[in-house]
Amino acid sequence: MSEAILDVRNITKTFAGVTALKNVDLKIDVGAIHCLVGENGSGKSTLIKIIGGVLQPDSGSVTINGVAYDSQNLRAIEAIRGGIQIIYQDLALFPNLSVVENISMNQMVEANDKLIKWKEAYEIAGQALSRIEEEIDLNEKVENLSMAKQQIVAITRALTQNARLVIMDEPTSAITREDVDHLFRVILRLKKMGIATLFVSHKLSEVFEIAEEVTVIRDGNKVGDYPAGELDNDKLTNLMTGRMIEYKPYFYQDTEPEKPNLLEVRNLQKSGQYEKISFTLRRGEILGITGLIGSGRTETALSLFGINPPDEGEIIIDGKPVVIHSTHDAIRHGIGYLPEDRLNQGLFQEHPITDNIVVTVLKRLLDKRGLINSEKRKTEGNRWIKELSIKTPSGENPANSLSGGNQQRVVLAKWLATNPKIFILDGPTIGIDIGSKSTIHDIIRRLAGEGMGIIMISDEIQEVLQNCNRVLVMYKGRLVREIPNAAEADEDDVFAAVSGTSGGV
Amino acid sequence: MLKNLFKSTESYLLIVLLAFIVVVGFINPKFFTIENLFDLLRSSSGMAILAMGFFIVLLSGGIDVSFTAIAISAQYIAVNSLIASGVDNLAVAFLIAVGVGIAAGAINAVFIGLFNVPTLITTLGTMSLFHGALLEFMGTKAVNTGGLPECFKTFGHFDILNLTRADGTEYGLSVFFLILVIVVVVTWFILKYTQIGRGVYAIGGNKEAAKRAGFNIPKIQFFIYMYVGLLAGIMGIMHVSLIRYSNPNYIVGSELGVIAAVVIGGTRITGGRGTILGTLVGVGLIVVLEKNLVLIGLSSYWHQFFIGLIIIIGVSITYLQNKIRSKKNLIFVRDT
Amino acid sequence: MKLTIKNMQNFVLFVILLAVVAVISISLPDKFLTAINFQSMTSQFPEFGLMALAMMMAMITGGIDLSVVSVANLSGVMAALVLTSQLGADGGISATMLIVLAIIVALVTSVVAGAINGLIITLAGVPAILATLGTQGLFLGIAIVITEGHSISGFPPEYLFVGMGQILGLPMPLVIFLITIALLLVIMKKTRQGFNMYVVGANPIVSRFSGVNNTRALIQTYMLTGLMAGIASIIIISRVNSMRPGYGSAYLLQAVLVTVMGGTDPRGGFGNVFGVVMAVVILQVIQSGLNIMSFSPFFKNFTWGFMLLLIMVINFYLNRYQQGRRIAETKKRVAAEASGNSP
Repeated sequence: MSEAILDVRNITKTFAGVTALKNVDLKIDVGAIHCLVGENGSGKSTLIKIIGGVLQPDSGSVTINGVAYDSQNLRAIEAIRGGIQIIYQDLALFPNLSVVENISMNQMVEANDKLIKWKEAYEIAGQALSRIEEEIDLNEKVENLSMAKQQIVAITRALTQNARLVIMDEPTSAITREDVDHLFRVILRLKKMGIATLFVSHKLSEVFEIAEEVTVIRDGNKVGDYPAGELDNDKLTNLMTGRMIEYKPYFYQDTEPEKPNLLEVRNLQKSGQYEKISFTLRRGEILGITGLIGSGRTETALSLFGINPPDEGEIIIDGKPVVIHSTHDAIRHGIGYLPEDRLNQGLFQEHPITDNIVVTVLKRLLDKRGLINSEKRKTEGNRWIKELSIKTPSGENPANSLSGGNQQRVVLAKWLATNPKIFILDGPTIGIDIGSKSTIHDIIRRLAGEGMGIIMISDEIQEVLQNCNRVLVMYKGRLVREIPNAAEADEDDVFAAVSGTSGGV
Repeated sequence: MLKNLFKSTESYLLIVLLAFIVVVGFINPKFFTIENLFDLLRSSSGMAILAMGFFIVLLSGGIDVSFTAIAISAQYIAVNSLIASGVDNLAVAFLIAVGVGIAAGAINAVFIGLFNVPTLITTLGTMSLFHGALLEFMGTKAVNTGGLPECFKTFGHFDILNLTRADGTEYGLSVFFLILVIVVVVTWFILKYTQIGRGVYAIGGNKEAAKRAGFNIPKIQFFIYMYVGLLAGIMGIMHVSLIRYSNPNYIVGSELGVIAAVVIGGTRITGGRGTILGTLVGVGLIVVLEKNLVLIGLSSYWHQFFIGLIIIIGVSITYLQNKIRSKKNLIFVRDT
Repeated sequence: MKLTIKNMQNFVLFVILLAVVAVISISLPDKFLTAINFQSMTSQFPEFGLMALAMMMAMITGGIDLSVVSVANLSGVMAALVLTSQLGADGGISATMLIVLAIIVALVTSVVAGAINGLIITLAGVPAILATLGTQGLFLGIAIVITEGHSISGFPPEYLFVGMGQILGLPMPLVIFLITIALLLVIMKKTRQGFNMYVVGANPIVSRFSGVNNTRALIQTYMLTGLMAGIASIIIISRVNSMRPGYGSAYLLQAVLVTVMGGTDPRGGFGNVFGVVMAVVILQVIQSGLNIMSFSPFFKNFTWGFMLLLIMVINFYLNRYQQGRRIAETKKRVAAEASGNSP
């Protein structure tokens, strides 16, 4: 048996009577590359916080580097001293400060010297960077670095704290494919130094690429530990969700071929973001667009929605060229957009569900005098709460009183209320558990069936292949592949196109 | 290096300042005399010291409108204490003023650091609280030159360097300038070389990250507002020594000029970004403008108008650049 | 309706109002509860009450308007210029026409000033606090430049009616205030502009992604806050019977005080007219009590500062309590859902 850097046993944690984790074990060997996977709300983040000493469990023990801590005794500072470093998604860097300071700050604070020894700070940062064979200008401000470089800074900072185990929470969600490869190389270098990595992810393909051992948790229970080699996509999905999800592919038939295209995009171009984008969308189609972060998928969608005006190109709706300068232009032309970032772009968290729904259609609620009719407001809200089965006792409750899936339905509702001809959904199931996911997919299919044109953007290749009739692949700002019949597409082939490794690109 | 210099806000500002000085000097050649320079330094050192304090507050992502009320309180209490006790000693005066300033700053910090009250609302409240208390409990009577303890007058006249005019009379560089230099150097040292100074930048840049890095945020906030109080106390004594008159209604109301100097100096209200050099250039610009409005044919009534205009133009340029950058990079930030 | 802290706030304010009135009535029975005192109180609070309503609107959108008092000064000076102009004496315009013209000039000035605030905030992306700090100096500066610091007086006697007259036994300032409140209630609760102000304040990114024209909503907000200051200026110059730039500098603090006391969230998204109006009345009652007991204006300033801080500290504890309760509720709901969903 190899030596363990971390040994977590029988962790149970409840919040106000709800069990978030039940008797969970997790053992990570020195220098291992370990993956923790699970659905949203499965208890992954709770477990990480307990390991980091940020949350205290109800019972169980955490052994770090051979030192055992009883259930409630582990404090954040002890976890750090024991060599545990957690890199959260937000990285917790100081954008206004230089790389050298960001790397050395924690150590300086920890040492609690009254004065800053800059020479020492440069040495700490320089050495830490060279240990993982990275080169970044020490004097550059962090805000001027790319997301991927910032991540390297965060990892390097962890090294200065004598890290033995680096925990990365969804580290690949905001960086490009090339940067993911780079990150993996860094993780391998960490391994060579005897530093273990716990990689927390929901992107299965990446899990197989990097992990040696995979721990799956579901609904607060540990499902099991598996050597990565023994798993495949279907098996892992099954373990994570506890069921086999059956997909019926979406078939589309053009019932009115004589009509012009619902949407036609011709040579849309925006410097630095995307170039020569041309595609069409017909009524009743679910058109998938997939690609990595930075492939231009969201940038293109935002151009259609009036938030990111293109430099060149034409947008034609129902055969007529249109100019979309703002979001209300977009709404006027019958375009709806469900944003990727629900928390920051989708919902007024503390405001009533009804107001969140009617915000897009306020004009329709006005009476003859131009004043908002409270009856109409209430009726509109309740109509959508019923139609999309949003679970709430009252439309006057704030949006943040809902679960993730129900919140997403509120965002759907606010766009369906506008009765859009074209509905763009950017990451419609991000952060939503499997059960709600399929309900949302069902709603999308129903809408398409009623004649709406849908554009579904997702970085989950499976999701677009299983729910769209046609799929476009974007890579580095260009459309590189069109898959006319998604149901028959080969997933590996699409993956190659997405990551730019297929021939002829 | 040169490219970097031209990218920064303070270099633009320096160019504006130099251009302005050239114009003023062209209209009034006397402006370019050392005597005039010494005069400007004597009368504006106090304002520059207040600006150093406000700069630190802004750097930490806060705002303070109470520092003028603190300065006048410190001054008036110190002057009256000296008169009442019969002690005529500058050191004692400084001790009292600085003590009052630090205590007042600590009161600000209690609300900001411990009760999470927004900085603007806290300092609006304490401004009224401090000044109201001063006038209510210490009185409203001004202390005129005759009644002022000698130590202030001596201090106000003390020069560290004397030069002789053509006609044989002397003029000098006030000790105020030396105090300003010390304050600037100390502030610079704190910000650059102390843990707590880096903490100011850290909480201005990312408060949550600062917390996670292990900074004691209330402690840093106590430091910031007490330091501002200390500087306000020093300024209070300098001010009475300069004008040889202590009126409890003075200084309050001049905060707009100080704020203008710091924000046009390129320090962002969102915190974490700004330089001492920029702040000093900003002060220079405001002072040269104020002193020379009359010279370029505008009455002193234009003072308020120009301060307002400068703030608007200065911040519009800074934030417009920011806005364009966010738009280009599709960054969606809540900044209003 | 569920009794949450947000809608409990007005009830608490009402109780405080009754308590303050009761305490002052009992301790100063023959001075407070008099017709004369009622007259003087109701002519005083509309001035800062209007500025407080302006502050409330700005805060609801997530901003602040530090320029209200300066706007009132500027539009007051403009109106005063009209009232003392030669138009009345030689120009052949009747006094009534002159007064109407003066009021129009004051209101237009204030709306334009507000629009300038809105433009700086939206087009240049300057935080409201800095933009209005700058225009605070700018607008007052313009007023000072125009008057060279002197006061303007010598208005037609008919104009005094605006500040001193009565309709149905109610002082004119109160009548103007009540009409404005009615108007604002409709705007805030019943119009798109009002709705948009709340949502922009709640989260400007979400509102933009929902098709709200943030720029327009904000410019109109600051035009409205300007208008409030303009209406206040009409009352002020009549009550004082002259206009001197710099008048009412204490109103800024009072406006912020009653705005947050009235339950407006300085972070934006929440606030209501009734709460602020009640806070205005509470402040006036206390002010009146302090006046009767002949406290100095300095002591009043001290009191306002103290009250503002006290309220913020109380809010701190209320929020903490509410947060604790919300977390507990969310957990319970999640638990209920989880048990309902599990197979």
